[in-house]
Amino acid sequence: MPLIKYLIYTGHILLLFNTLCYAKALHKNKAFVVFLIFLIFSSITLSSMMFIAFYLHQNNLYMNTIFLIGQFILLSIFYHSLLKQRIIHYLGGITLCVLTYQYIRDPSLMMKYNPIGISITQILLISYAIVYFYKSLQLQRPTLIIVNVGIFLYLICSTLIFASGNLVFAIDIPFKLYDLLFKANAIMYIVFQILVSVEWKKNYYKKSRRLL
Amino acid sequence: MEKELLQEESQVAMIVLIAILVVLLMGIALVLFFFLSRKKIIQTALEKTNLELSYQKELLHATIQTQEKERKRIAQDLHDAISAKLTVISLTTNVLIDRTPPDFEDANDMLCHILEVTTQTLDSSRTLAHNLLPPILENFGLVAAVEEVCDAFINSQQVAITYKTVYNGYLSKEEELHLFRIIQELLNNSVRHGKATYIALDIMEDQEQLYVAYVDNGKGFDTTNTAVKKGIGLKNIETRVAILQGTFSFYSQLSEGFQCTIYINKQPQHTHEKKLHSISYG
Repeated sequence: MPLIKYLIYTGHILLLFNTLCYAKALHKNKAFVVFLIFLIFSSITLSSMMFIAFYLHQNNLYMNTIFLIGQFILLSIFYHSLLKQRIIHYLGGITLCVLTYQYIRDPSLMMKYNPIGISITQILLISYAIVYFYKSLQLQRPTLIIVNVGIFLYLICSTLIFASGNLVFAIDIPFKLYDLLFKANAIMYIVFQILVSVEWKKNYYKKSRRLL
Repeated sequence: MEKELLQEESQVAMIVLIAILVVLLMGIALVLFFFLSRKKIIQTALEKTNLELSYQKELLHATIQTQEKERKRIAQDLHDAISAKLTVISLTTNVLIDRTPPDFEDANDMLCHILEVTTQTLDSSRTLAHNLLPPILENFGLVAAVEEVCDAFINSQQVAITYKTVYNGYLSKEEELHLFRIIQELLNNSVRHGKATYIALDIMEDQEQLYVAYVDNGKGFDTTNTAVKKGIGLKNIETRVAILQGTFSFYSQLSEGFQCTIYINKQPQHTHEKKLHSISYG
């Protein structure tokens, strides 16, 4: 089995583990609940993507589009509950309108990487993450700050990787190089999931044990 | 040709990889910067809170010390001026009762003595009560009380005082008492410790604040010497100004006299909050 598959499986196992941990340590905090929904959504879509790609051997890029839109909606709600800024709703609405227009105009985009869509949604999410960093400077115990670090680092790298996805496919570059890009993405995803686990271990592990 | 194209394309991919690496490094730098700034901000806030806490403790300590000193003084006054004289009265009365048959002339002398001591005791108790809470402040307000205390110092021939009071009764009775005590303390300090021969006192009021300016030509003191500061009751003044939610600043140098200013802001919430304070301190 190639290394890339190992990396993808590791990231996925970590994601499933985190989803279970967060579900067990369920908190009434709105941001926590939204993040848990995001983890569940990620688990389902990424499992489907792996199933389609590795077992059915079909193109799973339309699942990628669904994942990116779902991720944008859920993380926007997540940051709205952390930042309490109504502008996040407005920006989210506008972006979704732009994406809908793009996919209606060119439905074949569903089966390709959409660099503009990916860039807009991820840059917005990165901006929210930076604003949350700034806001939490003043807070004594900011909620899910390590998760925020994970989202921030993963998104800044994956934006570049996904946005250059079409470029990599369009030109006939050596397999080694685009394999390297996907490995980089998989490694960043593992880092993201490790940070999510660290957050759980640090702030929610004991609380969930006490409940047991 | 094909080889060149391939090389060009792999260069593009390399650029993408490098860009990802650079962005990642920048991201990590930003995260590190955030965590370090956060640490510093929290540390500064903690230091500030500790400083405030220690200042509050110091104030509390000074208040308790002043209270104890005042109790000691009252006890001493009661013992010296009243108890001692009452003992004399009691003894003389006993002698009068025991002497049978009474010698009229002797008895008359004794009764005169009792009357004299009783009058002295009455005076002493009146002075004591007056010192505890000047009736003039209660009945005629701050301006009259300040005038009285200044006149008392002027009459002692030890010091010349020029004073000006522009005050329209903005403060509550309890707050006026605090301000009066501050002025009393300042005058006492100037005469007792500073050996001042001239004092200028201004109490002014405008629409925004109440302002007290005080200057003397006494010995002055070294403001860096904390023992001196505590000894002359500046802490006591600070405590009272804090209760009035005002600001107190002073300047002094050895042989350059002493000067201080007190500002009390007139804010809408001022009266209510201060009333709460005055209940606990009053």
